[in-house]
Amino acid sequence: MTNSRRAGSVAAVAVFLAAVFVAIPLAIAATGRTDLYYTLSSVALLAIASGGVWLTFYIGRINIGQGAWALVGGYASAVLVTTYGWSFWLSLPVAGLFCALMSMLVGLPILRLRGVYFSMVTLVLTEVARLTALALPITNGARGITSIPTPGAIRLFGVTLVPGFETFANRNAPFYFLSAAMMTLCFAGLWRLVHSRLGRLFAAMRQNEELASSMGVNVPLLRVVAYAISSFLGGIGGAIFVAIAQSIYPSSFTINDSVNFMLNCFLGGLGFVFGPMLGTLVLYFGWDLLFQTGQYQLLIYSGVMILLMLVLPNGLLSLRWPSRGRP
Amino acid sequence: MEQVIANGLYLGAQYALIALGLTLIFALMNVLNFAHGQMYVLGGFVVYEVYGLMKLPFVVALIAAAATLAVLGAVLERFLFRTVIRRSEREESTMLLAAGVAYFLDAAILLIFGEKQRGVRKIVNGVFMWDNLILPWDRILVAGLAIAFIVAFILMMQYTKPGRAMRAMAQDRTAAQLMGVPVAFYGLVGFALGAMLAGLVGGLLVTITGVNSGIGGPISIKAFMMVMIGGAGVVGGAIAGGFILGMLESVGLTVLHSYGDVTYLVIFIAMMIFLAIRPNGLMGKPWG
Amino acid sequence: MTAPILTVRDLTKRYGGLTAVNEVSFDVQEGEILSVIGPNGAGKSTIFKLISSFVKPTRGEVRFRGEVISGLAPHVVARKGVVRTFQETTIFKGMTARDSVIVAHHLRSQASLAGFFFGTVAARRDEDAFARSADEILEFLGLDAVGNELASNLPQGHLRALGIAIGLAADPKILLLDEPFAGMNVDETRQAVERVRAVRDRGVTCLLVEHDMAAVMKISDRIVVINFGVKIAEGTPEAIRADDKVIEAYLGVEDETIGL
Repeated sequence: MTNSRRAGSVAAVAVFLAAVFVAIPLAIAATGRTDLYYTLSSVALLAIASGGVWLTFYIGRINIGQGAWALVGGYASAVLVTTYGWSFWLSLPVAGLFCALMSMLVGLPILRLRGVYFSMVTLVLTEVARLTALALPITNGARGITSIPTPGAIRLFGVTLVPGFETFANRNAPFYFLSAAMMTLCFAGLWRLVHSRLGRLFAAMRQNEELASSMGVNVPLLRVVAYAISSFLGGIGGAIFVAIAQSIYPSSFTINDSVNFMLNCFLGGLGFVFGPMLGTLVLYFGWDLLFQTGQYQLLIYSGVMILLMLVLPNGLLSLRWPSRGRP
Repeated sequence: MEQVIANGLYLGAQYALIALGLTLIFALMNVLNFAHGQMYVLGGFVVYEVYGLMKLPFVVALIAAAATLAVLGAVLERFLFRTVIRRSEREESTMLLAAGVAYFLDAAILLIFGEKQRGVRKIVNGVFMWDNLILPWDRILVAGLAIAFIVAFILMMQYTKPGRAMRAMAQDRTAAQLMGVPVAFYGLVGFALGAMLAGLVGGLLVTITGVNSGIGGPISIKAFMMVMIGGAGVVGGAIAGGFILGMLESVGLTVLHSYGDVTYLVIFIAMMIFLAIRPNGLMGKPWG
Repeated sequence: MTAPILTVRDLTKRYGGLTAVNEVSFDVQEGEILSVIGPNGAGKSTIFKLISSFVKPTRGEVRFRGEVISGLAPHVVARKGVVRTFQETTIFKGMTARDSVIVAHHLRSQASLAGFFFGTVAARRDEDAFARSADEILEFLGLDAVGNELASNLPQGHLRALGIAIGLAADPKILLLDEPFAGMNVDETRQAVERVRAVRDRGVTCLLVEHDMAAVMKISDRIVVINFGVKIAEGTPEAIRADDKVIEAYLGVEDETIGL
């Protein structure tokens, strides 16, 4: 990387961080639109889950099952916090890891499927997650889990690092910072992953699995690794979402969510790590703006989507993969 | 036991017909029609309007449903799918378009027909009883009609010129084109036919289970499952998948009744294990 | 004679009722160029896939330096040093030639994948070594001028060379070449023959599956002839040229195409 490009990247990251952690909170404080904290938290969390879907796209699999892992992650965190009395902060990584582990078990067989078959199976997977949540005793069936306590304080050696969320007048503010921080962290990790050797192996697998395996790449293993990371992100996003809502039901994440995660990736462009972030933002706010149209909301939304496909069938930014593996 | 098998056959006949339409569109156009369930719902509502509200004969209503959906399918192919297939760099784009169409139809159906569950009067009354088997006559008639449509479809695919052309196209689009098959035209015909089959089932079933605007998505999921079980793009596979799912559902609802609402969970998990062993379904060709 | 690098014993593959390969046995010696030839449909490409372990044999086995490799996953076989190449259509279309070769150095990694993620010292050392080695391989195969071209933009001749470059990057002990001369004119074939010789001179044993008889006769140390899935002859090019069974199998083929 040349020095000027490095400087450019550093500047871009600085602008992004300043916008997310300084400018937006200041703007919200100035306008008094504190409801935006909730909206933007949602965007951040959905973007994290969509980032996971993007990674499965990156290995050449169209994943319409991220809703399943958001649900699993949400339930894992909710059960740990309510039934076992864990701290939310501990339950969050455990929920993510639980999703990663489960997705490895599920992924081993289904990642052998390609093309439409994989897509259909992942779609079915979302239903499996919903039905499992309905059937299991620990998830409390259709009644779901409610009155989940908000995240408490993090104290280390008597020093309060993060105050308990219940101490805030507007609970949505700390959730915004948490979600935005997690999004930044997750996408930084994704960026690093894609630009490391593993990312290049993923790209090689996407372009030709047989050729990749002929040069000694353990393709089945790496597929599962990519899927596990993807599901981890889905689980993290779901778990924080549940903490904000303080409740979870089997219908909290459905097939519609799974489809939307996929749409976010397509809309943002598949060749760009930060595409899912942009796609989520545009789709979420587009949907929100259409709220005024009342009963015509879905009709207009889907109509615009169809038009977009007609005019720009390759995505808003670009559906082209980058010609070179690194910037 | 006889009751369970009879119910399974009844379900299987309609499921097979749904799966046929989906697999036809997939085989000819390589499009996974997410909107298949919505097309089914639309067929149901057309019959509800014509037979239920306008009090016209059921046959007329069924023909109206078939015609509406055939036109819709043809329009979708001609003005949306064909364009996107031509312009996009990746095959998957059609999947997004199909998802968009599904949302659009969902919204349109909700606006036009409302969110209420709608039913119509029975097409025939009475119950067939034999030994300890009890089946209402209208279910038998619906299953019989569904099977008749399936047979007619197979005969058409086997013995008519369009049928042969479409089979050639499903096998190898380029080769069919070189042999002089007008693939663009038959793509349109196939799409219309696939949509029509979905509408026909919806029109048949509205007389028994009724219809509401929210069931499109779940119907699509079931159709995907049948196609996966049987193998995508294969007529025999779609029929087999339909009957297998119908039978599983019927048996599952009886056997697993005491465990609560877990039939579909068990079927889903069984299907995923099955696909792990046979990734292309029962009769599918290797894909991708 | 030293122990063979590769032993093929009673290799059999049935697809349903059809026997594609039937009890084929032969050895490959360290450092030689051995070609498997046969008329179209003789079962050559099945043998190729069996040896590279992309297909599991119905019966029989392939051993690499005494160790059974048939039935193992393709990447495990590659890891042991048995690396296959593909025909020119199988490439990483979206990558440059140089990037493809760098990625293909996967097996030489000292650092773990996590190490690459965090950019450890070992990972950086690997990256530098891979880049240097990739440049060396590209130059060796005459691809240094097109290293930064997208693979999908390369002409056919360069794609063949790129296929071999990707194979060499995996540090093979024995390289399996899938019809390296197919569809080439006389001049291209001459260059390709030189290329395979140069690879052997680097100390890499070469096993070819090919039906261009003239090229095979020119390049091979030994030849195995397959017809209808059965081995009908094995020996030096001179011996094969004189073999009645081979001539019979190729009957109807013009004499010059089999190099007589």
